[in-house]
Amino acid sequence: MNSRVLKRLEFIQRLVRQVCSMRVASVFRNVVYTLTMAIFLMPISTLVEAKPAFGTRTLVIYDQKLTELDNYSTFLNNLKQRSHELSYRAIGNDSTPISLFRGEDKLYDNLIVYPIRSRHFNKQLSVENLLSFFSKGGQVLTITSPEGLSDNVRLFLNQLGMFPSPRNYYLNDYYHGDENNTLHLTKGESLNEHVVPLGEYDLVYKGAAALLDNRQLIIPVLQAPKTSFSVDSKQSDEIWTAGSEGYLAAAFQSLRNTRLAWVGSEVFFSNEFSANNGRFVEQLTKWAFAEKAVIKSVGSSHQHIGGAGYLESPYKVKDSVVYDIGLSEWDGSSWSPFTADDIQFELKMIDPYYRITLLPSETSNEAQYYTTGNFSLPDHHGIFTFLVDYKRAGLSFITEKDVRAIRHLANDEYLRSWDITNSWVYLTSIYSVITVWVLFVGLYLSLRKPKTVETEKKNN
Amino acid sequence: MATSCTQKHLIRWIQLLLKCTIFLSLTAAAISSRLFSVIRFESIIHEFDPWFNFRATKYLVNNGFYKFLNWFDDRTWYPLGRVTGGTLYPGLMATSAAVWHGLRKIGLPIDIRNVCVLFAPAFSGVTAWATYHLTREIKDSGAGLLAAAFIAIAPGYISRSVAGSYDNEAIAITLLMVTFMFWIKAMKTGSIMHSTFAALFYFYMVSAWGGYVFITNLIPLHVFILILMGRYSTRLYSAYSTWYAIGTLASMQIPFVGFLPIRSNDHMAALGVFGLMQVVALGSYVKSQVSWQKFQTVMIVSLVSLLALGISGLFALTYFGFIAPWTGRFYSLWDTNYAKLHIPIIASVSEHQPTAWPAFFFDTQFLIWLFPAGVFLLFLDLKDEHVFVIAYSVLCSYFAGVMVRLMLTLTPIICVCAAVAISKVFDVYADFSIFIRSSSTEKPALSKKDRIMTFITKLTVCGSFLAYLVLFVHHCTWVTSNAYSSPSVVLPSRNSDGSPALIDDFREAYYWLRMNTAEDAKVAAWWDYGYQIGGMADRTTLVDNNTWNNTHIAIVGKAMSSPQDKAYDILKAHDVDYVLVIFGGLIGFSGDDINKFLWMVRISEGIWPDEIKEREYFTPSGEYRMDAQASQTMKDSLLYKLSYHRFPTLFNGVEGVDRLRGQNIRQVDIGNLDYFEEVFTSENWIVRLYKLKELDAVGRDLHAVGDFERGTSRGIKKRVAKKPLLDVRV
Repeated sequence: MNSRVLKRLEFIQRLVRQVCSMRVASVFRNVVYTLTMAIFLMPISTLVEAKPAFGTRTLVIYDQKLTELDNYSTFLNNLKQRSHELSYRAIGNDSTPISLFRGEDKLYDNLIVYPIRSRHFNKQLSVENLLSFFSKGGQVLTITSPEGLSDNVRLFLNQLGMFPSPRNYYLNDYYHGDENNTLHLTKGESLNEHVVPLGEYDLVYKGAAALLDNRQLIIPVLQAPKTSFSVDSKQSDEIWTAGSEGYLAAAFQSLRNTRLAWVGSEVFFSNEFSANNGRFVEQLTKWAFAEKAVIKSVGSSHQHIGGAGYLESPYKVKDSVVYDIGLSEWDGSSWSPFTADDIQFELKMIDPYYRITLLPSETSNEAQYYTTGNFSLPDHHGIFTFLVDYKRAGLSFITEKDVRAIRHLANDEYLRSWDITNSWVYLTSIYSVITVWVLFVGLYLSLRKPKTVETEKKNN
Repeated sequence: MATSCTQKHLIRWIQLLLKCTIFLSLTAAAISSRLFSVIRFESIIHEFDPWFNFRATKYLVNNGFYKFLNWFDDRTWYPLGRVTGGTLYPGLMATSAAVWHGLRKIGLPIDIRNVCVLFAPAFSGVTAWATYHLTREIKDSGAGLLAAAFIAIAPGYISRSVAGSYDNEAIAITLLMVTFMFWIKAMKTGSIMHSTFAALFYFYMVSAWGGYVFITNLIPLHVFILILMGRYSTRLYSAYSTWYAIGTLASMQIPFVGFLPIRSNDHMAALGVFGLMQVVALGSYVKSQVSWQKFQTVMIVSLVSLLALGISGLFALTYFGFIAPWTGRFYSLWDTNYAKLHIPIIASVSEHQPTAWPAFFFDTQFLIWLFPAGVFLLFLDLKDEHVFVIAYSVLCSYFAGVMVRLMLTLTPIICVCAAVAISKVFDVYADFSIFIRSSSTEKPALSKKDRIMTFITKLTVCGSFLAYLVLFVHHCTWVTSNAYSSPSVVLPSRNSDGSPALIDDFREAYYWLRMNTAEDAKVAAWWDYGYQIGGMADRTTLVDNNTWNNTHIAIVGKAMSSPQDKAYDILKAHDVDYVLVIFGGLIGFSGDDINKFLWMVRISEGIWPDEIKEREYFTPSGEYRMDAQASQTMKDSLLYKLSYHRFPTLFNGVEGVDRLRGQNIRQVDIGNLDYFEEVFTSENWIVRLYKLKELDAVGRDLHAVGDFERGTSRGIKKRVAKKPLLDVRV
C-alpha cells in the first residue's frame, strides 16, 4: 500500500513539474506545487515510520512445508509499514534457480531467508551467490532453526564466522526453559546498543544457538544463558554449545557496510510471541536492513588556516592547517546530523604522527561537522595520509582518506642569518676580519715604499 | 730572411688548417661512433639512471630552476618522498636545459628528449679538445692530437657516453679533463686566472658528479708529492691556494654537497694540504731570512709538532662527530670484501664489483700496454706536471681494479700516457729527415748500409704502429657497436630463422602500467626498476636507484622474501597497489629478479636478522635452486610465487622448464597465489605485474577465500557439520 502511495506521489510530482514547465506565472506554480505537496504528503508522513537507507526491495524465501507465513503476519506487516516491498519465494518441489542478480544489477536490496529444509534449495541458491549478494550491497536476515538449516545457508554463515548448531540440535535450559525447549529469557540483554537498544527484554526463544569466531566484523547481539546448552535431540551426548559461549542472535557488518543478522529461532518472529519479542525483532531487523545506525561522511576537507587549499599552496613542514569532516546519520526517513565524541583524525605516514579527537563545529540540516581545530603539521617532510577511520561495532564504517605530500622548506624559506641572534657572533667576526684585512692591505700598500728602499740598501 | 719568415707563416697556417681538420674529423668520429644506438634502435634514453636524469630534466624545463632546486618528489620513495632538488647533482640537467633554451632562442625548438639523448656524444667532442690541451702541456701538440684521437673513440669512455646514455658521467669526464687541463696550466705558470678557471670547472664538476672527490684528492696529492720532492714554488702556492679557496667555497653552494668539504673525511686531504702549503710558504720565507742551522731546528720542531697536532686533531674531530667518518663506498675502495660484509646494498650494484682483467683489454685495447710505457717515459724527465700524470695513473689503476665503473676515470689517463708513448716512438722513428737532408752538401753521418738498415727499421716500427692504430680503430668500432650500444630497455635478439628481432617487454609493460592504472597507484618493485617506472610509467614507486634509504629497500626485499600473507601485510601497510617482478626464465634473460634475489634477502637480513635468514633460501647442500629441491622457504617466498605463477601452464601444466637456470619448475611447488592477482604479463614474460587483492569484505583471510573458491573446503559441505575449533570469543 505504501509503495502505491509513493508511486502516486511521484506521478503527481511529475504532473506538477509538467504544469510548471508550461511557464505559467511563477506565483501560480508555487501555489499549485505547495498545495499538491501538502495534500499528498500529509497522509504519507503519518504512514511512513522508517525506511531503509539503500533500498526497499525485499525478497522473502521460505519453505512451504515448514513455514506458514500467516503466523508471521505481524512481523511482515511491520516490514511493510517500514516501506519494504516484499516479494515472496516459496521453496517447494521445483528446483528453478533463484536469481538475485540481473547481469551486474541486484534484483533485491534485502533478503530474508526463513529456515528451509528442502534439499532443492542448495542448488537453487548457491553459497557463492549468497556471498556475492552480501558483499555487493545486499542486506540479509537469516533465520535458522533446528528443523530447517539448509547447507548453503550454513556454509554461508560459516564463511562469516558464525557456526549455528546443526539440524536437530536444540538449545536446552533446565532453569529457563520448559519441556518443549522453549526458553523464557526474562532478562534478555542486548549486547550492542546500536543494533538493539540496551535494556532488559522479556524474550521467548526456541531454537538453536551458534558459536561465533573472533573476527571483529561479528557483533554479538543476544547471548545464551549461562545455564543453557545445545544438544543433539537424537544423540544426546553431542554438545554444540555450553553456557554462554553460545549466541542466540548475532549481527554482522561487512567491510563494505552490508549487514546481516542471524537468529537461531523461527518462532522468535511469530505472531504468538510478538508481544514479547516484537520490539527486539523490530530493532534487529531495522539495523539489518539499514534503517538505523547508518552513518556516512558528507565529505572531508583540509586547508591552511587562512583558507587556502592544498592545490593553491601545497603544504610544507610546520604549516598550520585545519581538517573538517561532516557526518550524517540515517534516521529512518532522512539524513540528519550524527553526533559522537569519539571520532578521531589521524595524520599518518605508515604510523600516525597525530591522532586528534574531533570536536563538533557547525551543524546543518543534514550533517554535523567536526573539526580538528588548528594544528601544525609535523616537522617532517613526506607523503602523509589525512585519515578518518571510524569503525564502531554496530555503526557503518567510515573511512575518509586523502594522501598529500608535505614538502620541506625551500632554500629561501629559512631564517636569514641576521635574524638568528646566535649568529651575530660569527657575523661580527667575519665582517671584522674583512674590515681589518682591507685596512691592512690599504696600510701595507701606502706604507710600503720607504721600506723597499731600505731593503735595497741592505742588499746592496 | 723574408722568404723564410713567410715560409714559417705558411707552415703555421697549414698546421692550423691541419689541426682544425683533424679536430673536426675527430669530433665527427667521436659523435658518429656514439650514434650506433640511435640508428640500431631509436632515440631513446638508456638503462636506469638516465631515466631519472631525463625525468629531472623535464621537470626543470617545465618548472624552472627555482622549483627544480626545491623539488620535493612525492612520486618516489613512497611514503617518505625524496628531497630530490637537494639530493642530486644538478649540473647535467642544468646544462641540457640551458642547451634546450639556447636552441629555442635561436629558433631551433628541439624535443628535450633529443637534447638528452645526444648530450653525451656532443660532449665527447669537448673531451677530446680538453685532452688535447692537457697532453700538449705534458708533452707536445703531436701527443695531444694522438691523445684526443684516442679518447674520442676509446671504448672505456664510450661505454658511458653513447647516445641515450644520459648519465652524470657523460658530462663529468669532460669536466674532469677540462679541470685538469686548467690545473696543469695554472701549476706551470702560477697564473691566478688559470687556477680560477680550474676552480670554476671544479665547481661545475661538483655540480655534475659525485666523483668530483677524485679531483678533490688528486690535486692535493699532486701538490703534496711536489712539496715532498722539494719542488715547492710560489707558482705552486698561488695556484693551489687560489684553486682551493675558490673551489671549496663554490662547491659548498651545491645543496647536496653543503658542508661536506669541511666536515667529511673524503675532503680532509685538500684542507690538510692547504694548511701545509701555508706552513711551507712560511717556512721558505723564514729560510730566506735566517741561517740554515737555525732553520733546521725550527723546521724539525715545527714539523713534528704540526704533524702530531694535525693527526690527533683529525682523530679527535672524527671521534666527536665533527667530521663525518669515511663513507662505505670509500671503505669498499680499499677492502673489496668490505661492502659484501657490511653494506650489501653497495655490493649488490654490478658496477661496484671488481674488474675482470679482460675488461682492460676490451675497453682500451693496445693502449693498455702502451700505458706503462708512457708512464715510464714520463718518469725519465720528471717535470712537475709529469708527477701529476703519474699520480693519476697509479691511483686510478688501483681504483679501476677495484670497481668496474672506475674504469671510466682511468681511460683518459691511459689515453694520455699511451699518446705520450706513441708520439715518443714517432718522434724517434718517424723522423725521416736525415734521408732527405743528407743528399745535399753535408757529409752523410752514416754509411749507406747503415742508412738502409735504419730506414728499414724506422719503416717497420712506424708501419707496425700504424697497423696497431688501424686495428685499434677497428676494435673500438666493433666494441662500440656490439657491446655498448644496447639501450638495455630494448633488448636485441634473433628470431629462430636468424633475423634480428627486438625484445620490447619493458616498454610494453611500462606503457600498460601508464595507461591502465590509477594515476596515484603505488608500484612495488626491486629498486633497479624504480627510475624506469618513474620515468616511463609515471607511477609512484617505493624504492629506486637513488638508494638513499637502506631500510626502505630492505622493506621491499623483506616483502619479496616473505611468504605471501606476510608480504601482503607489509605491502598493504605501504599502500602498495601493484607489484612488478622481472622474470627471465622463459627466454633466458639473465638480469631477472630471481638472480638478484639473494641481494634482496641479504639486504633485508641486515635489518631483520631474526626473520630473514639467507641460509634458508639455499638447498640443504648449499645450492641456489628453483626446482623440486629448493628449500621450503624459497618456495614460499613471494618472489618465487610471482615469478613462476602460471609458468608450467606454458608447458604441460605440471612442470615448466626455466631456460635461464636450466631447471624444472613444478606446479606443486608454486602453489596457489591467493593474495595477489596477475594483471599483466609481457610478451616474453620478462615483466610480470600483479595487483594486491582487496581485503575480503567478510573478514576472512585471503588464503581462506582462495581455498573456498577453489572448493577445497568442500569437505565441510558434507551432511554432517562438525563443531569448529575456535578460540573462545572474548
